[in-house]
Amino acid sequence: MNWEYSRGRRKAASQRFSVLLMLAAALALVVSGCRKAGGASGDISIDASLSPQPVHTGTEAVTFRLANAAHQPVAGARVQVEGDMNHPGMAPVFADAQEISPGNYKAALNFNMCGDWVVLFHITLSDGRRIERQLVVKGVESN
Amino acid sequence: MTKPPGAISPAAKEERLAEDEEIFEAQPFDLLTVPVIGPLLRWRHSRTILQIPLFIVSLVMIFEGLLGPTLSPKNMATVLTWVHFRGALVIAILCAGNLFCLSCPFMLTRNLMRKWVHPRFTWPRRLRNKWIPIALFVGLLFSYELFGLWASPWLTAWVIVGYFVAILIVDGLFTHATFCKYVCPIGQFNFIASAASPLEVAVRDHEVCDGCKTKDCIRGRREPSSPLVVLQRGCELALFQPAKVGNMDCTFCLDCVQACPHDNVGILSRLPAAELWNSSQRSGIGRFSRRNDIAALAVVFCFGALMNAFGMVSPVYTVEDWLRRTLHFQSQAAVLGILFTAIIVVEPALLLGAAALITRAWAGVKGSWLAIAVRYSYALSPLGFGMWLAHYGFHFFTGLYTIVPVTQSAFADLGWPILGDPRWTLVGLPKTVVEPIEFGFLMLGLAGSLLVAWRLAQDDSENNPVRAFAPWGVLCVILFLCCIWLMTQPMDMRATMLAG
Repeated sequence: MNWEYSRGRRKAASQRFSVLLMLAAALALVVSGCRKAGGASGDISIDASLSPQPVHTGTEAVTFRLANAAHQPVAGARVQVEGDMNHPGMAPVFADAQEISPGNYKAALNFNMCGDWVVLFHITLSDGRRIERQLVVKGVESN
Repeated sequence: MTKPPGAISPAAKEERLAEDEEIFEAQPFDLLTVPVIGPLLRWRHSRTILQIPLFIVSLVMIFEGLLGPTLSPKNMATVLTWVHFRGALVIAILCAGNLFCLSCPFMLTRNLMRKWVHPRFTWPRRLRNKWIPIALFVGLLFSYELFGLWASPWLTAWVIVGYFVAILIVDGLFTHATFCKYVCPIGQFNFIASAASPLEVAVRDHEVCDGCKTKDCIRGRREPSSPLVVLQRGCELALFQPAKVGNMDCTFCLDCVQACPHDNVGILSRLPAAELWNSSQRSGIGRFSRRNDIAALAVVFCFGALMNAFGMVSPVYTVEDWLRRTLHFQSQAAVLGILFTAIIVVEPALLLGAAALITRAWAGVKGSWLAIAVRYSYALSPLGFGMWLAHYGFHFFTGLYTIVPVTQSAFADLGWPILGDPRWTLVGLPKTVVEPIEFGFLMLGLAGSLLVAWRLAQDDSENNPVRAFAPWGVLCVILFLCCIWLMTQPMDMRATMLAG
């Protein structure tokens, strides 16, 4: 066994490994920078609220207003509201929203657990476009 | 008659060993003799074959965690990690053994790396204990609560990436399985939990080992003409099979099975938790009663289970609010730090200290209170395991089918909706079914803990074992009631770093 040769090979291998490790770290950083944005932007905005506050477990009213870029109400949309716990593995809850006046909608969502929730609005506009918005509801308390 | 803890008379020891043998060890079941499974596990590349699927899943989880949906219940990284992986791991340990370490995806990359990189350093002697992985384990539990890891696919992905990087650095620098034995917090969790497993990698016939000259199970086999070339690894965790006791530090890598020239190592059935009252010298470990670090691991394992579950129920926020008001703290980390210190350090110190003092005073067991506490702390491990099973089993069973819509969604996001629209209403088993299973796990854990405490008490006080047992039995029952209380509290999961 040529020990010098072996040591040289080991050193070269260690250097290769270090370079690979750095490349992997750099790649991971780049990839993490490509993370999807949380909620796509667009010309439709949503202004949502829950009442009464603080939100308690049980059925709560979710009211929201859809508006376009010119701040005009967006009427005639079909909206399904979905509530998800922040922990994976929990059953989501769903409700269909009713339009109570042009651009203003209301849904009754059953928050069946305490904790932080994310409410998703699956919106189908009258022209067929489909968009999604979300609202974080922190600290739903027990009744 | 008083004795130092663990000092059992040879006659009594023989009698109890015979009792254990009668129960399970006379004709142990050997998994390696089972058709299909046995030959598969004995195959030289079996571990790699088991590791590859988990490695691919890990890469998918990293990809999904970094690039997929930001909402935790919709992301494969969080769903697989916090619902399926944890649950499957503890159930596998309960039903068989340390199967996760066997198929560890991190070890696959490490083994690949070691084809080119040959570590030159040995792990410092002062660090050859469990204190670092205990600190990392507590750190992981703390981060889980502080950052709400379950609610963040992005952070979950980085935890997995961090694991890959850590193992490559540690095992790239240090020889043998340093990461598994002295660093890996998941590994230590698996080691202490698998004390309650029904299977163990063990010698089939000790007489065969008595005549063995080569000791390949620990030394491995090398090329005769070129001793630097390793043909077959021996145990990298320094467990010499003939003197190995139990599952502590055993990753089920099966290197010893491959290495033994006499085909004398099997995966044998045994009495679950019996290793916890075994006071004999263990290869690569020493005596349990002299390993304060492993005893601390057992304590953290048990009280960590309580803390982890406590962090997910409503009363924790009442306590946190009270701490904030009383101490005028604004920092969530400081409040959580106090809570962790109280539950994982102060509470066990007081309870175990009191139980040890009572055992010494009432049963006349000799030795310092610390020595007694160390010896009996292993009795808490089955109950802790019961709590982990109840908690992780709950998420696993109630969220069992969530992997289906998440996978459908992942394919759809890639522009390839071959699995159809995600069925988000597909969740898991109803709570009415899962809750009895949870309580079953807890009762199993209590039974195991009481059994271990009783056997330790029998060894410590032959004339009056009830007195030695009573404080620990009461402690186990108190902790069991805490577990029951926790499992009946309303779930309340909040996260400081919510998606979106």
